[in-house]
Amino acid sequence: MTAEELRDTIARQFGRSLHIRTLDTGSCAVCEQEIRLLSAPHYDLNRLGFFFTPAPRHADLLLVTGPMIRAFAVAARKTYDAMPGPKIVVATGACALGGVYPDDPFTHGTVDAVLPVDVWIPGCPPSPLALLHGLGVAVGRLAEKVRDLPFTEEHYPERTRGGS
Amino acid sequence: MTLWFIRGLLRGVVTTRYPVRPDASAASLPTPPAFRPQALTRPTADRLVGICPSGALRRDGSVLVYDVGRCTACGRCAAEAPHAVTGSGEFELATTDRSTLIKEIPVREEAR
Repeated sequence: MTAEELRDTIARQFGRSLHIRTLDTGSCAVCEQEIRLLSAPHYDLNRLGFFFTPAPRHADLLLVTGPMIRAFAVAARKTYDAMPGPKIVVATGACALGGVYPDDPFTHGTVDAVLPVDVWIPGCPPSPLALLHGLGVAVGRLAEKVRDLPFTEEHYPERTRGGS
Repeated sequence: MTLWFIRGLLRGVVTTRYPVRPDASAASLPTPPAFRPQALTRPTADRLVGICPSGALRRDGSVLVYDVGRCTACGRCAAEAPHAVTGSGEFELATTDRSTLIKEIPVREEAR
């Protein structure tokens, strides 16, 4: 099975119902606040077929926050191993992507040092909308956009005059 | 009770239509900065690299390497050099390829 076929299979199987287990590997809990907001009436992620589950054995997607502190790496690995396949790991927030504690001796600095990450969601914290986009990317429902964004100002002509 | 019910009906559905339609609240989110290469001189770039608290910026010769994944959108670079940095307004940054988050911004060479 090629990667392309595998991606199609995952999109078909997870596209309508996906169970999410969140994993806090030492975050400051603001990422968790934003994740909690996904269940709030304004975002209501259940309408998109996403559900939170308290057990990794029921989960299809592992939503990991925090810089992966060394004391938690074993538990993170066990959580990942307990999940049935196929499974998706999403690294959430700047800590998980290596931003805030890259050289801290008590952390691994990034989530992909311990777990095989499939989708990266930047942001500190990523807003619920960014998380929804990330979940959509994870199940292949939404397109990735960041590849084509240069982050130079010619790309944002309407913003050049007023500043940020 | 009746008034409360009617008021609720008038207010309508609060749930966002987000992936199908854009959400109005997205405009007020703090977002990673975008840079203006014409105003980004080498000393400015070095100053921004120095104040970035999360190590998202690094200068490599005449290129400012900007790791959007590490950026916390704190706004310190925009406060330090408002002529060269502005908000990008981008929040849909999720990716399946980590390297797509690393951007290279050209740094203007000083006339000598």
